[in-house]
Amino acid sequence: MYAFSFHQPETLEEAKRLFGESDDPRYLSGGHTLLPSMKLRLATPSDLIELNAIESLKGISIEGDNVVVGAGTRHGDVAQSADVLAAIPALADLAGMIGDFQVRNRGTLGGSIANADPAADYPAAIVGLNATVKTDRREIAADDYFTDLFETALEEDEIVTAVSFPTPVRAAYMKFPNPASRYAIVGVFVAETAGGIRVAVTGAGASVFRVVEMEAALTVNFAPEAVADILIPDDDLNSDIHAANDYRAHLVTVMAKRAVEKALG
Amino acid sequence: MFVGTHNHGQGHETAFAQLVSERTGLDLDNIEVVFGDTRRVQRGLGTFGSRSAVVCGPAITLACERVIDKARNLAAHMLEAATSDIELKDGHFTVAGTDHRVAFSAVAKNAYSAGGFGEDGREPGLDETAFHDPQGFTFPFGAHIAEVEIDPATGVTQLISYTAVDDLGVEINPMIVEGQIHGGVVQGVGQALMERLCHDDTGQLVTGSFMDYTMPRAAALPLITSERIATRAQSNPLGAKGAGEAGTFAAPAAAGNAVMDALASAGVTHFDMPATPLRVWQALQAR
Repeated sequence: MYAFSFHQPETLEEAKRLFGESDDPRYLSGGHTLLPSMKLRLATPSDLIELNAIESLKGISIEGDNVVVGAGTRHGDVAQSADVLAAIPALADLAGMIGDFQVRNRGTLGGSIANADPAADYPAAIVGLNATVKTDRREIAADDYFTDLFETALEEDEIVTAVSFPTPVRAAYMKFPNPASRYAIVGVFVAETAGGIRVAVTGAGASVFRVVEMEAALTVNFAPEAVADILIPDDDLNSDIHAANDYRAHLVTVMAKRAVEKALG
Repeated sequence: MFVGTHNHGQGHETAFAQLVSERTGLDLDNIEVVFGDTRRVQRGLGTFGSRSAVVCGPAITLACERVIDKARNLAAHMLEAATSDIELKDGHFTVAGTDHRVAFSAVAKNAYSAGGFGEDGREPGLDETAFHDPQGFTFPFGAHIAEVEIDPATGVTQLISYTAVDDLGVEINPMIVEGQIHGGVVQGVGQALMERLCHDDTGQLVTGSFMDYTMPRAAALPLITSERIATRAQSNPLGAKGAGEAGTFAAPAAAGNAVMDALASAGVTHFDMPATPLRVWQALQAR
């Protein structure tokens, strides 16, 4: 790890000011991706601007039919939140599947979705529930937020402040974990929302994506067998030593089917 | 006690100290086992081939007997009795048939004190060194049974139960032996079901960290049942047999055969380890 300057602002304004004044700054939240990258010298920021002291980024609240989770909220806190468990148990379930205890006690929602790892779990919930990403300057719809591999609609100095998750009629997340790292090889979030059925897939491609064919089939018949024979094309899917692309395509079907079963209880 | 074997988790500090404690009557807490320090240990070869108890154990007991002989001789002097009348019991040297006795620790102190060892030509100190050259091998044996369930939709193999029955000869510490069986089985199961070194086309290792190299973890394993029978080994005075590798030998075969048996019922005729989800799924697709 190379030397860097460390800042701990207490307001968003101060954080942005520090960002603007630094040569090569990075925001730091839970640090579970950025710090290992720095240790390996893959990331060499001149300045780390830690966001954990900004109180407005923390906490979970119910606003009408929405569960609003502050960007600085730890995965473990989402997994155990009584509000989340009551309103969107599938979201708590998903948060409880992220990494391990150590990761869940440090990693944050905002950090995860700003990093946009293709194998992260949260993107599936955000797109699956048609959530809204709130930042220091605007609101971004789920379908517009994740753009590509480690790419989002965020501007250079933009800070995610919260995510608003609409409460679904029913939802479930099924994850096929990488046997070594426990990241999602394939994670499928299925939800019946006010705006219709949504099926979001993480881990399989460069970025989270929806499977409209499955959504259409589930709209007609919300049952496991509705998706059992829908196989997505594997041309653009990820392929590695743990899962070839055709295997990932197959797993999308299996996990979608099991997610529907789980959603039906 | 300075030993030339090396302990890296097998519990030598306990098992080797037991050998000394059983023979001297000294408390385990008063026995320090020193290994792996070339400033303090004269020579050693380390630990390999399930040999520490079998090869080092008899050297320890021989050295113990020599130290005890030396101490008995000094105790006889201290108790003003004949050496042949001195018994060692519960950490004390006693004149047989009397309540005259002296603690091992008091004898040790005299052995290193000026004048304490007497003036009749007795050698001071209680140091002794012993070597053991094993005359032949030991032959531990056993039978291990693994039961697996395979999810054909995902290729995931779950180990449902594992039972190991081994004959490891006379066991110095059965709890440690059982722990070694468990550890060996876990390593063997890891080899059969998970672990795999992969290189890319340029020869670069792509399983260079535990983010990619799958180690067996507690959550992936059932409770392991270990039962043992004991037939004395004839090739060493302790009657012990090699135990450290018993689990690693049997588990890949047991778990691998269980996987093959399950896949055979689905028409697969050949399958090579490891049974990772991807490889099992591919085998099922190719049948």
